[in-house]
Amino acid sequence: MAGQVLASVTVSLTKLPANGNVGSVSLPSVPIYQLGNPQLRIFRPNWFLTLVRPGKEQPPDTAQFRVPMEMTKYDVKNYLEKIYNVPVGVVRTRIQFGSNKKRNHLNQKVKKPDYKVAYVQLAQGQTFTFPDVFPEKDQTPAEGSMEEMQNKFMEDEKQRQKLDPRRGGVTEWFGL
Amino acid sequence: MASRCKLPLLFPKSLFKNLRFVHTEAAVTQPSYPPVVASLTAKSKSARLRQIDEQIQKICASPVEEKLSLITRIQRQKFVVYPQTFARNADRWYQHFTKTAYIPGLPEKFSVDSGEGSSPSPADQTEITGIDGDAFAEIRALVTRVILQEHCHMNKKRKPYVYKHQEQQMGPFLKNLVAELTYSLAKYNPLLLSSSLDFSPQVNFYWRRGQRIIPKGHRKGRLEPFRFQIDDSPHSQIRITQQLPQFNPMEASYTADVPLVPLAPNLMPLFRRQYDNHIFTGAKLPDPACYGHTQFHLVPDRYHRDRMLKQQQSDQVEVFLRANALASLFSWTGAQAAYQGFWSHEDVCRPFVSQAVITDGHFFSFFCYQLNTVALSVETDANNPRKNLLWGSQSQQLFQTVQDGEVLGLNDGVIKLLVQFLMNRP
Repeated sequence: MAGQVLASVTVSLTKLPANGNVGSVSLPSVPIYQLGNPQLRIFRPNWFLTLVRPGKEQPPDTAQFRVPMEMTKYDVKNYLEKIYNVPVGVVRTRIQFGSNKKRNHLNQKVKKPDYKVAYVQLAQGQTFTFPDVFPEKDQTPAEGSMEEMQNKFMEDEKQRQKLDPRRGGVTEWFGL
Repeated sequence: MASRCKLPLLFPKSLFKNLRFVHTEAAVTQPSYPPVVASLTAKSKSARLRQIDEQIQKICASPVEEKLSLITRIQRQKFVVYPQTFARNADRWYQHFTKTAYIPGLPEKFSVDSGEGSSPSPADQTEITGIDGDAFAEIRALVTRVILQEHCHMNKKRKPYVYKHQEQQMGPFLKNLVAELTYSLAKYNPLLLSSSLDFSPQVNFYWRRGQRIIPKGHRKGRLEPFRFQIDDSPHSQIRITQQLPQFNPMEASYTADVPLVPLAPNLMPLFRRQYDNHIFTGAKLPDPACYGHTQFHLVPDRYHRDRMLKQQQSDQVEVFLRANALASLFSWTGAQAAYQGFWSHEDVCRPFVSQAVITDGHFFSFFCYQLNTVALSVETDANNPRKNLLWGSQSQQLFQTVQDGEVLGLNDGVIKLLVQFLMNRP
């Protein structure tokens, strides 16, 4: 236990919020970086990444993550490289604004939270495609089961309701 | 009865009249009404097609200057393609944008002669046409002198500040090298006597390729072509009065494979801007030296291989060089073709050939480009089997180090390739 090497994440500059609300920040009381300070290292970071399916099609070497707002590009890169051993080429981030337009039953504006998206391009020619998490299940029910008999009954009923196919779609009230 | 057939009441005389002119051809009569074509001003698809057609005819019929101004007249949002880019795997994307196939290794003209690496004896250099052993020794001495001038003899008062090393040390070195080599080889290659050596010229090209459906806005649902613009400024270039000979016949490019990237260019990442569209080779239209010979590019500090090594992106070094050569040479040859009146609806009838040397002061990479087609827009590319070709070499070191006023490990292969490149002529 004592000799165990913990994975450390080299962190880049992160600003503390001005109002000193320490509860929402994952790094308690970290002073702002000044020239000459040692490199800040975090062991066991309190950040969690979410791998998401891209809304728009991305190149095959790109993976899309939702990351906490406090993380920067270099944080994401170090996080993936040190903790998950993923060869990361380059990371680009953007902040997605969550809409404040919807209103609730009291006509108050309801804010959807903002979140940061990171596009991670993998190195060493690796590719990644988001897997199909909800594959289509085969709808045919098992042999001799209740569902199969019900389906068959419904189909027979529908068949009985249909008109004679020899009439060619002509309605019943035409004729003798 | 006289006859059994039923004749009409009024016997038509035209029955006999028609028999008279059976063996003569009908006389060509001029149409008395103008041809029925789609309207030009109606709010319909055929009217729009006719407008586009008329515009194309107008452009084809006008002289070259007017042609260029008509093609680059309207400003629209376009992708700005930077030859020296930080994007990963940029060479695949650029190959798709310019319909270029990459062929590793140089064409037979250069690769046969430069098979071996550094061979010190000048007797082996007789393979270069027109350069014998003594001349090559002279050139070798010249190169040594230039290297020593920059690394030893120049009295540099202070070390270059961060990110200024290439610009302040390697820039002048390359400038001296190019100038001295060009002037000394001018006595062997008469083409260089009437050539023009430009330093930091502007090379621009504007083209269209591919299309997309506009997702949002008042033009939603309509088709819009992707527009690209390259604004390049190589370190130096040599422009000549005659076209260099082709490396491969145009038909040989039909089988080359160009990587197809089905995604939108902005995923590269590539950004759009709107400003004036430029097509420029480095000199204005009336200049007699309108064809390109060789371009020299300097790798800036940001993309230096030592910095890439620190960022663990060493595999992107060659990718960067290829992308740089591809974009720069495509824009140069495309602009040369535009100066001759070829554009996307009037494809080139002969290939346009140019060469490039990309270096960071130590490592030299050589590239040759052949432009076979400039018809890259959607309508003209539908049945176009031609592809552009880029040949490229791996980067080789010119010299190892400079120690005590001596250049160690001077690579003759690189010097040979440089000389061959500059000696290339029709």
